[in-house]
Amino acid sequence: MASVPITVRRARDALEARTARVPYRVKLALVWVVIFVVLAVLFLSYGFDTDFMLEWAPFILGGTGITLLVSVCSIVLATVLALIGALARLSKNPVINGVASLYVSAIRGTPLILQITFVFLAFPQFARFAPTYMEGAFLLPAIPAGILALGVNYGAYMTEIFRAGVQSVGHGQIEAAHALAMSPTQTTRRIILPQAVRLVIPPTGNEFIAMLKDSALVSFIGVSELFFRASKVGQQNFRAMETLIVAAAMYWLVTSVFSYFQAKLERKMARGYVRETSHGH
Amino acid sequence: MATDVITIQQLDKHFGDLHVLKEVSLMVQSGEVVVLFGRSGSGKSTLLRCINFLEEPSSGVIQVGDLRVEVGPALRARREKIRQIRERCGMVFQEFNLFPHLTVLENVIEAPCTVKGEAREKASKRAMVLLERVGLAEKAKEYPIRLSGGQKQRVAIARALAMEPDIMLFDEPTSALDPELIGEVLAAMRDLARDGMTMIVVTHEMGFAREVANRMVFMHEGQLVEEGPPSQIIGSPADERTRRFLEAVL
Amino acid sequence: MKRLRLLAVLSFVLLLIAACGTAGDEPEESEGNGDAAAESDEPTGLLAAVQDAGVLRVSTDPAYPPQSSITKSGEYEGFDIDVATEIAKRLGVEIQWETPSWDVITAGNWAGRWDVSVGSMTVTPERAEVLEFTPAYYFTPAAVAVHEDNTDITDTESGLDGKTIGVCGGCTYESYLEQTLEIPGYEIDVVIDDASVKAYDTDSSAIAALELGDGTRLDAVMSALPTLEGAIDKGKPIKIVGEPVFYEPLAVAIDKNAPEDPVPLAEEIGRIIEEMHADGTLSELSMKWYDTDLTKET
Repeated sequence: MASVPITVRRARDALEARTARVPYRVKLALVWVVIFVVLAVLFLSYGFDTDFMLEWAPFILGGTGITLLVSVCSIVLATVLALIGALARLSKNPVINGVASLYVSAIRGTPLILQITFVFLAFPQFARFAPTYMEGAFLLPAIPAGILALGVNYGAYMTEIFRAGVQSVGHGQIEAAHALAMSPTQTTRRIILPQAVRLVIPPTGNEFIAMLKDSALVSFIGVSELFFRASKVGQQNFRAMETLIVAAAMYWLVTSVFSYFQAKLERKMARGYVRETSHGH
Repeated sequence: MATDVITIQQLDKHFGDLHVLKEVSLMVQSGEVVVLFGRSGSGKSTLLRCINFLEEPSSGVIQVGDLRVEVGPALRARREKIRQIRERCGMVFQEFNLFPHLTVLENVIEAPCTVKGEAREKASKRAMVLLERVGLAEKAKEYPIRLSGGQKQRVAIARALAMEPDIMLFDEPTSALDPELIGEVLAAMRDLARDGMTMIVVTHEMGFAREVANRMVFMHEGQLVEEGPPSQIIGSPADERTRRFLEAVL
Repeated sequence: MKRLRLLAVLSFVLLLIAACGTAGDEPEESEGNGDAAAESDEPTGLLAAVQDAGVLRVSTDPAYPPQSSITKSGEYEGFDIDVATEIAKRLGVEIQWETPSWDVITAGNWAGRWDVSVGSMTVTPERAEVLEFTPAYYFTPAAVAVHEDNTDITDTESGLDGKTIGVCGGCTYESYLEQTLEIPGYEIDVVIDDASVKAYDTDSSAIAALELGDGTRLDAVMSALPTLEGAIDKGKPIKIVGEPVFYEPLAVAIDKNAPEDPVPLAEEIGRIIEEMHADGTLSELSMKWYDTDLTKET
């Protein structure tokens, strides 16, 4: 604070005093508006072709549906894998636990783009070991291949989230259930899982939002989603800046919408854990 | 009427190199209130938790009513006996361990519905009577987080009673409570004792022990050192270690 | 224990099914690859597979007008697109597009995902190891462009020595500048020495870097002449210097490691290409998309 020149500090204090009645949120929104205006001016002066943007926007934004489709299917697959993975990781059976821990370790230890390429190109090579009627399952079209790769990748990360969720249900909870003569299965189903689910829903929402953005990587194998369209159209017209901004705006909009619902869900899920008088964050 | 409901014979418990219980034998009769006391680490909580097999004893025999379980592999028949013992022994923990995702009422009816297959409506009716008894009927729809420590512990007592146990095990039920909240929990326990419930209580509340207990048992380094009626134990302890412990707490 | 046994049984059954499957396939395969079959006029290998399916699956990277680009309705258009469509027509099959990234196409081992690449691919020894090439269907002049403000670079013979030149990574221009380019059946005369080569993900990224100013990131960009001309048409502040430095033969490629024998399809498409050279179809398409005939080696 000491480094702020006295005149600046005085001006700031004066501004603060004069705008004291303007709600904080409005001020925040104003800051955003100012930044947007500055950016817009910058872009326009750089020779930003807005007509071109408008002309191509419908085609580029048409990829949003595929982006959403890929993300939703992948997160569903990831959730199923993570649930199985987490229970397997908590299992005392060495075979089950070994398979699950290898899965998590190998997937978390390799780049997503590599896994996508692997599913797309290496996976079909195994078809020759499979019976004829199963070959189709190995030669997945680009979209299912992308979903498989993303789902398997996120499944590994979410396995650890789910496992942590189950483990963070206190030992006292399990003891209390056992002391009430509940069987291990009843304890898992009635006491551990309902609490674990509440714990993992917010991070799963975060994973989905991350997935929306990572789904751009399936453009690499030719899935015509948002980023694919933006980058191809941008390259072929030498207007990548414009097309990428169209795509970025859509990604941002979609993730903002989901973040909003995610925050709501998180608050709802916290019921029973948070006193209503205290403020969530 | 002096039947033994709990018989503990030659109970040993090791935690790795630590020998926590050394050939402990104890019998509790129906309707008796036994207070276990001693320094922390003396094995009193472990002894209590061995009764309903939250801890697996290293050797020895536990008998609750006609259910006799010896140390051995976790075979199906043995697991079933342990489950039945747990049905007969209600337990109250130091840290309450209420289920945070369930309301007070749901906490109380969870085990009757899940374990005994009781209808929700019937179980709820009974649960309300129990909550009334511990003075918390109006909190039935609240979640545990909204309760004070004392209220939580009283719900925990009601939850254990909902399984209609023969015996109640209390593991330091007031140790995690603010001093001003201890009274309400002890009152609920006193009420239970008056109704003739068989109770084993691990506690440092000597006032409660003097007033409610039929028998006090002093534990030291995994062994039962001395036992007797409160007047004798508190008034004129025979063992030097008991005397020194009592001097420290009283 | 029970579950383990179940797992063991399950995996055994799976293995059995797999074994039966491959065993059942074998006679068919040996028949397909047999000499007796090859000698007859019946199509074999990948050609037979394409004709049986009635579809030729073609990979294209629609980021390179006028070879291949995407329209606002999501269709593909360009010289390569027209050539591929004509090849499919002459094979008597439908066409289907796949749009994987260019690196994936040039790396070979397509795992049977598509049948051919009609993507203006330069024939190189490395690529020829994994890909089966047909005779060239046209030739791209490789040219050099500089920023329009530049005045000191006027020819490619000496003006570019020691300059920083941008190219698309993994493209022929990169190997050309690194003096490692070999094209089977063609002689390459390298005229640029000691260039500092900067690789970008695509040609247009390199052009975008040059656009920032003369010498800011790059002194020059080396790319296909049509690509550079296209960029100039789009208003990019660059200009072409000198004559084309070499001509790249561009051919249709087929994965050597395809599930079915690729040679019959390569031969058949090669025959169609010769036919299209001879009957003027390729020249016509070249005029349509490039306004000049690039189908003859100059």
